[in-house]
Amino acid sequence: MSLESSMERDGTSDRSRSSSNETEQTTDPVVSVQGLRKEYGKGDDAVEAVTGVDLSIQPGSVVGLLGPNGAGKTTTIKSILGLIYPSEGDIEVSDVNVHKNTTTAHEHMGATLEGARNTYWRLTVRENLEIFSVIGGNDYRKRTEEIESLIEQFGLAEKADTVVRELSRGQKQKVSLACALARDTDVVFLDEPTLGLDVESTRRLQREIRRLAEDDGRTIILSSHDMDVIRTVCDRAIIMNDGEIVADDTVESLIDLFDAKTYDVVVDGDLDEAAEQRLASEFFLKNVDRRSGKTALEVETDGDEFYRLVDTLEESGLSVESFSEVEMDFDDVFLHLTDQAEEDERRAQEVTAHE
Amino acid sequence: MSNASVTDAEQDDGSGLLLLIWTIFRMNFLLMARYKVNFAAQIVGMYLFFAVIFFGGRAAVQNVGGGMGALGGTLDALIVGWFLWTMAQSAYSSLSTEITQESRWGTLEQLFMSPHGFGTVLGVKVFVNMLLSMVIGSLMLALMLLTTGRTLALDFVSVFPIVVLTLLSVVGLGYVFAGLALVYKQISNVSQLMQFVLIGLIAAPVAELPILSVLPLVQGSEMLQATMREGVRLWEFSPLQLGTLVGTAVVYSVVGYLIFMLCLHVARDRGVMGHY
Repeated sequence: MSLESSMERDGTSDRSRSSSNETEQTTDPVVSVQGLRKEYGKGDDAVEAVTGVDLSIQPGSVVGLLGPNGAGKTTTIKSILGLIYPSEGDIEVSDVNVHKNTTTAHEHMGATLEGARNTYWRLTVRENLEIFSVIGGNDYRKRTEEIESLIEQFGLAEKADTVVRELSRGQKQKVSLACALARDTDVVFLDEPTLGLDVESTRRLQREIRRLAEDDGRTIILSSHDMDVIRTVCDRAIIMNDGEIVADDTVESLIDLFDAKTYDVVVDGDLDEAAEQRLASEFFLKNVDRRSGKTALEVETDGDEFYRLVDTLEESGLSVESFSEVEMDFDDVFLHLTDQAEEDERRAQEVTAHE
Repeated sequence: MSNASVTDAEQDDGSGLLLLIWTIFRMNFLLMARYKVNFAAQIVGMYLFFAVIFFGGRAAVQNVGGGMGALGGTLDALIVGWFLWTMAQSAYSSLSTEITQESRWGTLEQLFMSPHGFGTVLGVKVFVNMLLSMVIGSLMLALMLLTTGRTLALDFVSVFPIVVLTLLSVVGLGYVFAGLALVYKQISNVSQLMQFVLIGLIAAPVAELPILSVLPLVQGSEMLQATMREGVRLWEFSPLQLGTLVGTAVVYSVVGYLIFMLCLHVARDRGVMGHY
């Protein structure tokens, strides 16, 4: 994979993965996916949605699953939930094989799925919680405190006896999340949990997700396009692109991985074509901006290589006026990884075509 | 949290299933009570349909010969046939309608993920729907008897098992169409045609063509007519009749369920569970 090779190049592989590897050795994973592959259709019309995913998730962790549309996130999540049969691979949740013992595996997981109501709109908030508690295999009569607590935590106390269809979009989203939690399972999948929520509700939900993991020991797996949510609540992020995992590490490690690798360099004078070609052949030149006798370069390189970059520029008759490290946020990391994966894919296809 | 949930499941001595039945029954009842106008309109609609036929076509119905089959034979036959059709219609359509609705609502996946098992949850829904369809059927029967001034033999010990076994064969059809709804989604037009097929099955001329009794509804319809119009007791039927009634109930419901599970497999393989 592209990221792995880039990490081997810059020597960060061991550092960035060490934290998760250490954790993995201490406890058995609550979710284990080995060699997951899913192909829709047959023959020439077949489309490979997931091309070989391996992942394991530790109990009590909050894991973000992200990727652009069509990356294979939904197929992966639905395969883990047993809603989709994989073409190949083994999936276990709490040591139960999901596709061999589906019903038993469902004792351990609950989910809210994006784009679905997940609740009965013609029933009240409290009725929904009671029903999903029972559907989840619990006796709601013994769990009135938990149900009332969920109603309270999601700020739905005043609406507890209101039918869901009369609630706002954000409130409906809260009800579906509360219903997933009312099932009282080890693992909870939340697909775009903050979609439609206002800022305050999003923050409350983020706090609640952390509390569920830290205090209750629940494992939360969430997919989101909201990088702020991923950065704020997730212990770890799994980034998918084109049906495969392109990065799997702690959020901090992923940011560290790219941090200080990109420099904004301003040189005095216009960079000519020959010099630009030379730079492009030796460094990852991300952007060149010529204006009023100066040239601003965005270059991706590591610390040692940076000095060679300066030498190369001076050999071309350009002196460095200023430079600064570009701090990457999680959005940049995500875009970088998915772009890089697509670039690798394109190159691989070109090589195949030449062969 | 989760440990407690597993404990609940481990301690499940059948009380979990009873609670599931009660919960789904309660849910249906709440919806009926909350949308009582809708529910009343359903009953009134069915009754008006009958009333139009009864008052408008009384002469025609009375003059049509017995050879036309059970439905057109007599007014009593019409009432019994209508009683059965009301319940059969409800028992058949409720499952496929619910699958379509739950799929649209995005709650189907939640039911599928129940540790009770998707088959059990659907089985409970079928059971509750059958109970409710029998209540609706009984209500319709009372209204029809009041309207026509007719009396019928209502021997519960005979009528109830015949009705249950007859409806089970229809439930099998319901499972088939529910499975098709799971895979193909938009099957409501085909599904609506089934109500006319049900009328045909209820009125099937089994006396002239005994082989028709192996079809769903047919044997039960004939036996219900005999019980309610002529007072025949359950144990007075021949072993062949009883065997055909039980056999069609078991075969159609089991085959229907297996076809549903096959469709479920196809839906999971294609990744279309819940897509609408």
